[in-house]
Formats: sequence, structure tokens, C-alpha cells
Amino acid sequence: MRPMRIPLLVAAILLAAAAPRQASMMGRWRAVLDIAGGPLPFELAVTAQGGGLVASICNGPKCADQAAVTVTGNRVLFDIADYAATITADRRGDSLVGVYQNVGRNGPRSIPFRATRGAWPRTEPPASVLGSWDAWYITDQRRSPRVLHFIGGTGGLEAAVTSNTGDLGVFWGGGTADSFSVARFDGVSVYLLAGRLNGDTLRGVFHAGLRTQTPFVAVRTTGAPHLTAPTALTSADTSTPFRFSFFDLEGRRVSQTDPRLAGKVVLVDIFGSWCVTCHEATPDLLDLYRKYRPSGFEILGLGYEVTGDSTRDNPQIRRFRDKFGIPWILLHAGASVVEETAASLPQLRGFTAYPTTLFLGRDGRIRTVYAGFRGPATGVQHTKQLEDYRRIIEKLLAEAP
Amino acid sequence: MSIGAGLVLLGAALTFPAAAQSRAAVERERASFAEWLGSSPVSPWRTLVVRAIGAGLSLGPDSADIPLAGLAPARLTERDGRVLLRMGTDELGLSRGRVQTVEGWRLIVSGPRGRTAVTVFGPAPAKQHKKLSYYDYHPRSAHIVTLRPATESRTQRLLAPDGVEVEATDAGTVQVSLGSGSSALRVMRLPGATEDESELEIYFRDGTSGKTTYPAGRFVSLIPRPDGRYWLDFNRARNPFCAYNTVYPCPVLWRGNSLSEPVKAGERYTGGGLEVPTP
Repeated sequence: MRPMRIPLLVAAILLAAAAPRQASMMGRWRAVLDIAGGPLPFELAVTAQGGGLVASICNGPKCADQAAVTVTGNRVLFDIADYAATITADRRGDSLVGVYQNVGRNGPRSIPFRATRGAWPRTEPPASVLGSWDAWYITDQRRSPRVLHFIGGTGGLEAAVTSNTGDLGVFWGGGTADSFSVARFDGVSVYLLAGRLNGDTLRGVFHAGLRTQTPFVAVRTTGAPHLTAPTALTSADTSTPFRFSFFDLEGRRVSQTDPRLAGKVVLVDIFGSWCVTCHEATPDLLDLYRKYRPSGFEILGLGYEVTGDSTRDNPQIRRFRDKFGIPWILLHAGASVVEETAASLPQLRGFTAYPTTLFLGRDGRIRTVYAGFRGPATGVQHTKQLEDYRRIIEKLLAEAP
Repeated sequence: MSIGAGLVLLGAALTFPAAAQSRAAVERERASFAEWLGSSPVSPWRTLVVRAIGAGLSLGPDSADIPLAGLAPARLTERDGRVLLRMGTDELGLSRGRVQTVEGWRLIVSGPRGRTAVTVFGPAPAKQHKKLSYYDYHPRSAHIVTLRPATESRTQRLLAPDGVEVEATDAGTVQVSLGSGSSALRVMRLPGATEDESELEIYFRDGTSGKTTYPAGRFVSLIPRPDGRYWLDFNRARNPFCAYNTVYPCPVLWRGNSLSEPVKAGERYTGGGLEVPTP
């Protein structure tokens, strides 16, 4: 026994010396971003992975992006590399206080952050708001349409907000008999939708970023189309083959004459690694790719990134590629300033949505333009969109080369 | 337990940082901006030149319109709204509004079709940039105001703080009490960082402009309050980028936004780049 005791003692002393002054970061943290409209709740679930710590960013039961967690003394850094964003916080026991930040060209976008250990409690979804609503956002006397769709999920109230250009992912929250509040933070989107039912009308405010507040009013969906059809938003010059010329991630120029595209039916995915909807669309594109590639189908990804500077953007596109294992051609097309990037694809008119999907026939001409993407959060709209995609691809594949 | 109750618990666990209206919050914002100015590759402190592309610009050798050491002769042109950079036989399409790196130089093209300008950033900040300077925070400089909406929602192109032309909408006016009287200030809605984000901004001049603050004017954002009114916090008044670097175009003062009273709050300015733009 004696020889065993000393190593055990030594190990115990070493462990005590190496032990951090604070308990591990592991576990769940209920967090908020303090935007001007109030606290926006989300959760960070910290686990050990590959020798380090990672945090999943969760909106209720739905966890999306991951952040690498670095602890230096009392300072905790969550590095949300997918969106070139960070949360830095000072830790005191079981509380964190700090700031969420992503950096744009006009200076830092900073939002106060705080968290405490533990999970958010689940709340019963208020039955009165469940279902679909046709909403109008009102900004300076201008109205723009949205569809709000509420369901009772495993974690409470879940919602999808769909505009003419797609949805923003799953919102999560709760409410009381006649009021609700649902939020989404995924590393880059900072959204809070809160409202109250008054008779048959839902009224409230959509909060975006640190301090944008857009009032909305909504009534039960009647069944009549409230949003513009995704194929009616963006039009294209279909008289000549789609023309483009951009660099790939290795710096090689790729254009419409590339032999990998010749004679193929091509789905052009205009995306951004910063675009949450693009992340949601990619698994569906992978399914289409696997199913139709043997029949002469190809996908081309045109990435519009945050800075437009390839030395800074290409690592973001590579992360996006590796996250999903994307096998198709990805090009760095430029930067994501909506109205201004349209100039880099002069054959498109009214290009405003990420993602925008072009379907090219075997002759290279644009046949259909689909603006935006209705993600899994939108339920039946998501199913219908994928049916449309399959129908279009099969029709184009059937055409003579 | 409801979310609301959960938030109350959280609130009890941590003191609520009373948003926006505190000396500490304002000082954090100032520090964060100073860090960005010092470290960003597209900081206004690194800007070498902002020029309209017009009929085309040559880049590279000393004899070029924009000499850039180490860059082989290149030419920048605008055709049908598309900006092209030709280098030898290569032709590169540049997206408006964001950054393209060429041999360590960073270029941004921006502005509307036919009036596109190029901004060139050097690899390091200019050596003698000034430290930012502010009036000390004072709670009296934060006003609670009511936005009186514009009767019609007109859009117009104007220069954002970074000298880039944006499409802004007329959001209305606010009335603010300063010194002896009350003044109306015009508020514009400028596009923000992500979908559905925007900023309510006021670009104004006051009695300190050209004396202790930047002569062309300063920007200040409206911060919404839970009661539907807004904070107009002059502690957060900030300079347009033309104050940091004279190569930037300066926004022209918005009609009606000239205050005779001094607003001794927010960002200060001393010397250099004092050319006041004429409307």
C-alpha cells in the first residue's frame, strides 16, 4: 500500500494547485442581450470538445452556432467565428457581464450581454396566438408584409417570421394568456418580437439589433397570398447565358465557360457565410446535389461576404464549406451590400435577398430566380419550396442538351 | 414560471445595467470605438485617398492618379454601374461598398451608379493621428424627446457618418430644450447592420461647432425608451469620419439642424481639417 500513497498524495496536491479559482464554465447559462427594447433571452450550453470548451448558442431547444470558449483569469471570450463576432465577459462566480460585438466597416456594433448559470424555465405557449398571422411592419408610414407563424414546441413558444425574402430562423420564448415575446440570437441576428392580442388583432414591436424598433399589426391568415411569391421578386435577363467571373478560394478565376458547368443544369446559390438563412438552406441543397448530380446537375456557390476583402472573407467561406462538407464550386463574389452588389451580377434585376437561387438550363440561360429561402421553421412553406426546386430541376434535366 | 418571472430572477441575480443611460455605458462605447479606430484595417486613420472614379483612374506608379508603391500599373473604371479593376490582362469586378485587397492596399468602391468613388487604405495607421477627445459625461446632456413623425415618408440620398452615400428616409422631428429656448431637429432613418435594422440619426451643428467641436457638424442617434419616447443623448454625439481624416467627404448639414446654443457634450475636436463644406 505504501508505494501507492505517495503518488496519490502528489496527484492530489498537483490537482489542487492546478484547479482554477472558479468552477468550470461547463453547463448551461441563461443569457440576455440588453437591447433598447429590453432583455433578449437566449442560452449558452458549454461543453468540452477536443481539449477545449465550446458553447452552443441556443434559442430554446434549437441550438445553432458554436463559439470557442477561452477563459483567461476572470475574462471569458466566446469566439463566434462563423459570424466574425465575439462575446467578451467578466465572470464573478456564476454571473457573466460583458458585451457582444461584431465589427463592421462603420465601427463596432456592440450590445451589452449578461448571463447567469442555469437554464431558462420552459413556459406554456399561449394558445391564443398559435397559428399563422398576416402582419404588416410599419416604418415611417411605409408598410411591408410579414407572416408570423407560432407553434407550441417542446421548449415553449416557437415562431417563424417570414418576409418576401425568406425567414429568419426559429424564434423562441413564451407568454401569458394574451401576450407573447419570442427572440432569436444566433451569433449575428439580434431579434425580439413581442406583442399582445387585442380582440382579433395582434399588435406589437419587432426589435432588431441594439435599438431598431418596428411596430407591427397582424390578423389571422386568411389564405389569400400576403407575401410576394419568391419567383416574382427578382427578374433576370434570360436571353443570353448567365455571365459571371469571380475567383475561387485558391485565387483561380472561374467564369461561365468553366468545363465543370458546361451542358449541366446548374443551381446558382448566391449566399453569404454571415447569412443565417443560407446556413439553414445548405443541408437541403446537399440533398438535391446528391440526388441529381448523376443526371447532369451541378451547384455553383457565389459568396458575398462581410468585408468583400478576399484575404478576410475566404477563411469565412472555408469555414462555411467545412461546416457542411460542401463539395461544389464556391467563389468569392464580393461583399454583401444589397443594392450595391447587384451591380456585380448585371443580369439580375431587383436582387435583394440572401440566399437568391438561380436555375440555369443546360444552355446556361437563367430559367427561374427564387429569392430568399423559407427554412425549416416555416413548416409547410419549407416543404413546398423544396417541391418547387425538385420540379424545376427535373424539368430542366429532361431538356435536350 | 414565465419568461417574465425568469427575467425577474435574472434581474435579481445581476444588477440591470440600466441600459444605455450611464456614464459607464458611454465610456465603454467610447473605448470600444477608439480601439476600432486604432486596429481596424479599414479605420479612417488608414485612409489615403477618396476619389471619384469618373472617366477612370490609374493606380500604381508614381505618375498614376493614385500612386501606390509596389502595385503594377492598374486602372479602375466604371461601366454600367459595374466597377472594374484591370491589372495586366486580369480584370476584377469590385463590389461596391466593401474591401478589396491588392498588394497590401485595400480599396473600397462606393456611391451610386455613375458617381462611384474609390477609397484606398494603407497598411498602417497614419503616424500622427490624434487621440479622441470628449466632453466629460454629464447626465443633463441626455434629453428625453418625442419623435413627431414626418407627414410623408420621403427618401433621399445623403452621406452617412463614413462619407458613403446611403438611401435615408425622413423620420420626422424632435423638439429639444437647450438653454433658454426649444429647438426642432430633423431626424433621418439610415440603413443599419442587418435586415430590418436601421438607425434614427440627427446630424447637427451648434454653438460649439468650429470652436471646440467639429465644424461641419456631429451625428447623434436616437435611443428608444420603453415609453415610446427617445433618449437624445448628446454625450454620444460623434464626429463624421471626415474629422479623423480630411480625405473623406463631409456630410452637408441637414436643413434646419443648426442650433445657436452650445452643446458642450460628446466628441470634441481640435485643429486640422477645418474646411467647412458648402451645400
